[in-house]
Amino acid sequence: MLPEIIVITCAVVVLLLDMFFDEKKRIMLGPVALIGLTAAFAALTCFTPKNGTILGGRFAMDAVAWWFKLLFIISGLVTVLLSIDLLDGRVGVRVRGIGSRGEYYSVLLFTISGMMYIASSRDLITLYVSLELATIPLFVLAAWRRDDAQSGEAGLKYVLIGAMASAFILYGLGIIYGLTGTTDLNLLKQALKPSLALWLATAMIVAGVGFKLTVVPFHMWAADVYQGAPTPVTAYLSVASKCAGLAFIFQVLFRILGAFVADGAMIAAIFAAATMTLGNVVAIVQQNIKRFMAFSAVSQAGYLIMGFLGNWDLAVPAMLYYMLIYVTTNLAVFACIIWYTNETGKEQISDYRGLSKTNPLIALSMMLALFSLAGIPPLSGFVGKFFLFSIASKAGFHWLVGVAAVNSTISLYYYLRIVRQMYIETADENAGRLPVSGVLASTIATLNLAVVFLGIIPVFYESIYAQTGSWHW
Amino acid sequence: MGLVSWLIAIPFLTMLVILAVPARNWRIIRWIAAAGCGSHLILTSAVTYLYCRAMTGDSVNMQTSLLTKLYLVEKVPWFESLGIQYFVGIDGISMAMVILTSIVIFAGVLASWYVDTRTKEFFALLLILVTGVFGVFVSFDLFLFLMFYELAVLPMYLLIGVWGTGPKEYSAMKLTLMLLIGSAFVLVGFLALYHASGLRTFDLQQLAQVHFTTDFQKWVFPMIFVGFGVIGALYPLHTWSPDGHSSAPTAVSMLHAGVLMKLGGYGALRIAVYLLPEGAIAWGLFFMVLATINIIYGAFVAVMQKDLKYFTAYSSVSHCGFVLFGVATLNMMGLKGAVIQMFSHGIMTALFFALIGMVYSRTHTRMIDQMGGLAKKMPWLATTFYIAGLASLGLPGLSGFVAETHVFLGGFFGNMWANTGVMKALAIIATMSIVVTAVYVLRALARVFYGPITNHDFEKLTDATLPERISTGLLAAVLFAVGLSPFLFVNMIESSLLPILNRLYQSGAAALTH
Repeated sequence: MLPEIIVITCAVVVLLLDMFFDEKKRIMLGPVALIGLTAAFAALTCFTPKNGTILGGRFAMDAVAWWFKLLFIISGLVTVLLSIDLLDGRVGVRVRGIGSRGEYYSVLLFTISGMMYIASSRDLITLYVSLELATIPLFVLAAWRRDDAQSGEAGLKYVLIGAMASAFILYGLGIIYGLTGTTDLNLLKQALKPSLALWLATAMIVAGVGFKLTVVPFHMWAADVYQGAPTPVTAYLSVASKCAGLAFIFQVLFRILGAFVADGAMIAAIFAAATMTLGNVVAIVQQNIKRFMAFSAVSQAGYLIMGFLGNWDLAVPAMLYYMLIYVTTNLAVFACIIWYTNETGKEQISDYRGLSKTNPLIALSMMLALFSLAGIPPLSGFVGKFFLFSIASKAGFHWLVGVAAVNSTISLYYYLRIVRQMYIETADENAGRLPVSGVLASTIATLNLAVVFLGIIPVFYESIYAQTGSWHW
Repeated sequence: MGLVSWLIAIPFLTMLVILAVPARNWRIIRWIAAAGCGSHLILTSAVTYLYCRAMTGDSVNMQTSLLTKLYLVEKVPWFESLGIQYFVGIDGISMAMVILTSIVIFAGVLASWYVDTRTKEFFALLLILVTGVFGVFVSFDLFLFLMFYELAVLPMYLLIGVWGTGPKEYSAMKLTLMLLIGSAFVLVGFLALYHASGLRTFDLQQLAQVHFTTDFQKWVFPMIFVGFGVIGALYPLHTWSPDGHSSAPTAVSMLHAGVLMKLGGYGALRIAVYLLPEGAIAWGLFFMVLATINIIYGAFVAVMQKDLKYFTAYSSVSHCGFVLFGVATLNMMGLKGAVIQMFSHGIMTALFFALIGMVYSRTHTRMIDQMGGLAKKMPWLATTFYIAGLASLGLPGLSGFVAETHVFLGGFFGNMWANTGVMKALAIIATMSIVVTAVYVLRALARVFYGPITNHDFEKLTDATLPERISTGLLAAVLFAVGLSPFLFVNMIESSLLPILNRLYQSGAAALTH
């Protein structure tokens, strides 16, 4: 539990420092959050045992939880790196209503800690509470730009829909408790028998988590929230919130309902097909880049849930690896978007025209990341998708593989729209080179290296496979 | 790293060097590109020599073999738990394709000697593309194959979109999307093969030892064949090709029509027919009919074209039909013809597009009826254009004749599964296209190069420069070489075609006894 403790302590420290510092010194808060997350990262990778339980088995550590925590910490770290410039005002175009750095970082750290708990909970109550700890701070973050109507709208929509989703989940968990009389996941697994109530409970939970994962038809909130929230928050939402949803559904589907997952394969396949198709088709017509990324994220969720068609020995590694790739790739795209919004205040796709002339390296990074999202080899997105497609193919869903592969091509169409703006359209007459801050430049560079190398170097997949392939539910 | 890996690595390393050079030194960049491709040509010659020496005498052993024999093999595990490996090697068919690509890219770089807008990015993308193409031709692991295949397709978008002419964005998008939808079909087929084999491997040689059930073969074969057919311009999925070729800049048209379209025929032969012989037997006649439509339709549409690039693009559709026709005959003659046609058409069409690019850069028009009498001003270009044109209509002595003869004879010989009468009829129809080809080629050439000079601006035009002469001269020389001594070439590929045929006969005999 050491990494979680570090993250929470850091959140509290940031909040306290914020109280004692004057405005000038508050520039230190970002680095403090960074140090906290780095320490948590170090604690996770070096000092945490990969297996073990505490608190009477209610909090457990295993390989799957370990990888999820790694993902949460990485997304948190990158989000802080991406937020620093915006919050400290080192931007080309100032945005009103961005401030209160201390609260921002501490709220961010709290949601990270909540997500980390999800992966380790072995009890219905703690599972639900950690989900709320992960979600509620996100509502606050989405509405961060107090003076901005869109941000407010985003926050409100997110609260309402998020609360509804939570209610669904709670209802589902309640039914499961009612059926078995226990909240311990390990006991639940043995006590559950197939029944109508169990199907109802599963449907409730899947619907609730569907909101988090932006699975069609529960994706409606995504576009508005993504557009309204401050861009670093959108970046965080698009990766970490999805990861958290996946961690939660892993707990429910594999740990509790492991024996019944195969019965729902057809349903999962239909959800997957609908999600990727709708996300892709709607993304084609988007003009605002954040809305665009929202629908792109919806379609990525569609590919992701293809993993539920398979047995856990292949599905878990494939989904975790896909998530690792998705986190780095999506953050790489968002890093470029955040940089551009910081410098120009513009968010339309057509604003990116001629970027390859003015800032060739950033344009190249963005193109690589977009191609990786589209699944073009040798970038990592290709490998990630290929493994998921392979699971669907193994389960005999050849039609779904076809739908998914055609969808990848459709997605390429709209990713190419941005590439076209950057590379083919000519820049405005007076467009000059835009400055890049050191923090953003190194973040973008690191993320892009990860985007390239995750697809070429097998060691990450192999170690995920070796550690989680033998996962017992 | 072995020699075959270097075949992939040289263009990639050249690309990295180019990226390191500042963009303002564009003159140096093209020299680097030429040096890289030149050294690739030397390496290819070395590999060809090693291959030919190693394979001498092997064709006797291959008479009954069911597995193609690979040379210079390199095998490294990659994603080990999924059975994905880095597995490259050379056999006769891939050797022919590597030689083709190496020649075309070298000629292509020389033909783009005067690209002065964003030269650095142009050559970098061109080299990425060609890295992908070499990768496809030497990889014998399906995952690796698919990876290189998509890597080869994508740079096209930017190459056409940025440096192209005409409705370039439309063409670029259409081309990219259609080709990738093709690869989506291929992906479904590959994954189905992977799981149906139960071996947890993408290794082509291991998959070839598995017997897939007939029903399975019957649905996977068309998946893969159509998927590759898209890039091989199979009717009615060829529509990306005229638009793409005519909008692309010179070197890209050369590579695309010359090499990339061959990925289709290569994949269909190497993977679809090789792994799924029963599927091939079941579907052979169907695809033969489509290929015949390709041949005739492409030729007739080419007659109507007024733009030199569209004209060549449709003639490519027609000629790529010969490749698919040859593959669909499923006999030795036809398969040989398909491979020779891939090579011959690759060189010929690259020469065509190079010359069109050179003529266009002088006259600034591609409209056939706006030109006239150019032979007086540019004798070199006119002569090489004629060589390409004559090869295209199958004049003996040039490579086109060898290829087309094989393909047609293949059609006439028939095979033991399909109705021989129908195959003969199709072969006769396809042969007629030669007449149509003669009509459009000769008419266009006469129009462009002979007669009086109609436009007075053309009085000042100059003939080919040295890089252009090397580029076109090399390609024309290869057309002669294959045309005059086809046996060298046939020897090289024959032993690799035998296993494919043996597999067909084995499963065909089994099918007949049922």
